[in-house]
Amino acid sequence: MRREVLLLIARQFWVSTFKSKGIFLLMGIMVVLLVYAVYSGVGYHDQNHFRIDHQEKARESWEGNPDKHPHRMAHFGTFAFRLKHPLSVFDFGIESYTGNAVFLEAHRQNVANFSEAGFSTGLLRFGELSMGMILQMILPLIIFFLGYASIVSDRENGTLKVLLTQGASWKEILFGRSIGLFGISCLFVIPFLVVTAILLILEEHSVDDQWVRLSFLSLSYIVFSFVLSLLTISVSARSQSSKSALIKLLGLWLFMIVILPRASQALGTYFHPSPSKLEFRAAIEEEIIQYGDSHDPNDEHFAALRDSVLRANNVDSISQLSFNYGGLVMREGEKISASIFNEHQQQLVSIYRDQNQLTRSLILLNPYLAIKNLSMTLCGTDFESYVDFQNQAEDYRYSLAQKMNELQIKYISPKRVSGSEGKVYVVDKSEWKAFPDFKHQFQNIQHSLENELISIVSLLIWLVLAVWVILYLSRKSTAL
Amino acid sequence: MNQLMIKQFLRTRTFQFGLILILLLGLISIITGRQFLNDQRERISHVVEKQEGHIARNIEFHGDDLGLLLYYLKFSLVKKQSPLVALSIGQNDLNPSIQSVKILALEGQKYDTDLVNPTKLLFGNLDFSFILVYVFPLLIIAFTYNLLSEEEESGTWKMVSVTVQSKLKFLLSKLLVRLISLLAVMSFLFIAASLVLDIPWNEAFFAFYMIGVLYQVFWFAICFWVICLKRNSSFNAVVLLFFWLMLVVLLPAVVNNAVTNRYPVPEALTTMIKQRDGYHQKWDTNKRETLVKFYKSYPQFESFGFPPEEGFNWLWYYAMQHLGDDESVEESKAMASKIIEREEMSKQIGQFFPSMYALLTFNELAETSLVDHMSFLERTNKFHEDTRLYFYPKIFSESTADDVEWEKFKPKFYEGRNQSFSWTGLLPLASVILFFIGLSAFMYRRNFVSIAND
Repeated sequence: MRREVLLLIARQFWVSTFKSKGIFLLMGIMVVLLVYAVYSGVGYHDQNHFRIDHQEKARESWEGNPDKHPHRMAHFGTFAFRLKHPLSVFDFGIESYTGNAVFLEAHRQNVANFSEAGFSTGLLRFGELSMGMILQMILPLIIFFLGYASIVSDRENGTLKVLLTQGASWKEILFGRSIGLFGISCLFVIPFLVVTAILLILEEHSVDDQWVRLSFLSLSYIVFSFVLSLLTISVSARSQSSKSALIKLLGLWLFMIVILPRASQALGTYFHPSPSKLEFRAAIEEEIIQYGDSHDPNDEHFAALRDSVLRANNVDSISQLSFNYGGLVMREGEKISASIFNEHQQQLVSIYRDQNQLTRSLILLNPYLAIKNLSMTLCGTDFESYVDFQNQAEDYRYSLAQKMNELQIKYISPKRVSGSEGKVYVVDKSEWKAFPDFKHQFQNIQHSLENELISIVSLLIWLVLAVWVILYLSRKSTAL
Repeated sequence: MNQLMIKQFLRTRTFQFGLILILLLGLISIITGRQFLNDQRERISHVVEKQEGHIARNIEFHGDDLGLLLYYLKFSLVKKQSPLVALSIGQNDLNPSIQSVKILALEGQKYDTDLVNPTKLLFGNLDFSFILVYVFPLLIIAFTYNLLSEEEESGTWKMVSVTVQSKLKFLLSKLLVRLISLLAVMSFLFIAASLVLDIPWNEAFFAFYMIGVLYQVFWFAICFWVICLKRNSSFNAVVLLFFWLMLVVLLPAVVNNAVTNRYPVPEALTTMIKQRDGYHQKWDTNKRETLVKFYKSYPQFESFGFPPEEGFNWLWYYAMQHLGDDESVEESKAMASKIIEREEMSKQIGQFFPSMYALLTFNELAETSLVDHMSFLERTNKFHEDTRLYFYPKIFSESTADDVEWEKFKPKFYEGRNQSFSWTGLLPLASVILFFIGLSAFMYRRNFVSIAND
């Protein structure tokens, strides 16, 4: 392959594309979509202000509590608000379908509530318009549309023969056109990435690895559009007429992007039924009941614990102990109920992963799914980021409940056997301030990329495959 | 001639492939719908069965202390499921149709959404309404985009146009063959769904079907218009796909984003915090103050007076719980009205776009829309208050479980909004169809008739 010939062919493709008015119409449409997606993304991301405000408000009233029995504080509880990743302006991912806030209190794991989906009309189910969605769904159509005729129409009108007799090789023609098409597709992709970079600069709350993430994101979309360009040229080279090339590509788009993902997700869910919230809760409660009621110091199930504590301390009743026994029982109870909950929660998450497995196994066959998943992950809006948030909230909840139990054991008189009201058996309010607030931490990029290794592999395989197809076609193609 | 046309069409690969695809997807949609409906029904019957046992078991433990007993008891309100839910799941996968509530503060209990895999929500349900709104138009496009252009491109059109008496009749009958075949496939799926899901053939089902029919006709009208432009196959395919993309993907997303950004609901978060503070901070204030506020809401209980400031007391406890709701009522109402506004705005814009109109109306017919859920929540408030008002005097007078008529506390059912379908709501859709037919007629005259006169 000669470099100058390659570039000449690419440039010629570029020039001829810009001769038609169609390209300007497409660019116009993309600009409108981009502007609207940015407007929506910024609007969505602004919800962070509400969440930060509310996190502060909730903290304020936590700290504003007077001297109290620590168990009252354990139930006063606090909230964990899920923050949106700065890159979520680019790709909304599953953000709208996940809960935004959890109430954290002792011995009760509440689910994250108030998802955007819960407040949305049926229209949400048509999907959302984000920059990521446009590049994943609309960009392929544009590349197909610009490139479907590139080889086949030249064959139809005989210019291909002229080109070959002038000394260009098939390899040069196919790669040259692919590069030309890829160049034009970059014109569509780059503005999205540049706008995202500008939004990141303007955003006050930044995350350490956001620029690395954006670089990976850019690279992925560039590879994605290069693969699409190569495939488009291949289909065009293989087709008998430009009409059939177009229909093949549109069919491919419909099948790979519109029909297949939804159908596979529906089937995956069908084969792995997950429990409803009522069932989920009931199963946990049933298991916890077997361990007895840790609120009740006289509970029989905790009798063994009480006896051993009494024996170890050489006293005959819990009010003679040097510490508050009620707190100790609740510490035990919390440990048991939290581990039961975590087990069920992990089971639930693994059912969800099973439901997603069918679609995930198609990632290798479908580059659209690869870019979709990779993009969500890099923008911190994927399923695993959500699971991570839930885990962080639960860890915080557990440490809060146990801290309050510790305070009770240490500072509440052993004579106060049960009950938590009143102003006599209390702990100093400075303790409330001393316990740090919940802070949602985003996953680091290494972790995210490990989760989506399969998508990265898929994009690379497709890249190699697409290049191979072009090489193969350069040996097989004919000018007639 | 017509018979030949039918045979010719049925033999095309496009038709056969399309038929297999739609039957397969239709089947998946019906079985996922059935699974959903069965799950819902199972959960409901489970709750109904369990309530009696749940009450009995708790009476055994805490029967002598009614205040403590009611701290544990849950009462269920169930939203009745129309079998149409299986055809149009709408918001019902997320918004539960069972509310099991304690007579404690309600705001913290009623908004719990069900547990659903968020990835599944992202990809969306593959229910029957999706097949109708999303997939059928694609088949219509695939079957008609080259209806005429193919004849022109293969050179048969010149021959046809001299042999047929009327070109219009020829085009229309070709179109009709496709329309009838697709309506037949759709009707087959409707009948199959009604048999598998036990859907009664009532007004709602008929309305569902009629919207389905009109929606297909709408797409045929668009296709007819594009055919009458008399351009080549590639042009037609691109234009029609562009329409599909606009109507089914981009515009609904644009409207949804607009609605979301126009009516953000930070009140949801505020309600949660206020409810907590409203209740919990009462533990630190004196009991008298709390009860004065409580009696303001319910003066009928004033005769229970004020408990001693020291120690624990159930009257005080339930008063605190109620004040949690009471002090967050403003935000809660603001949130509800914003959510209703979201639906209103979507509907208003949606009525002019057949895709959005069809989907939103399917949800309304199946009572799975956002408004249906809001009215269920409304009813939950009433249910909760009724239950509280029954128990309050019994708890406050320190009665025991023996004084309660427990047989009254079977799960209650909410029948839904029972709105009858507004047939006039079809007018915008009908006018859009007429508009495209008119446009087609105009294009036909311009592109076919005048050339013939030359």
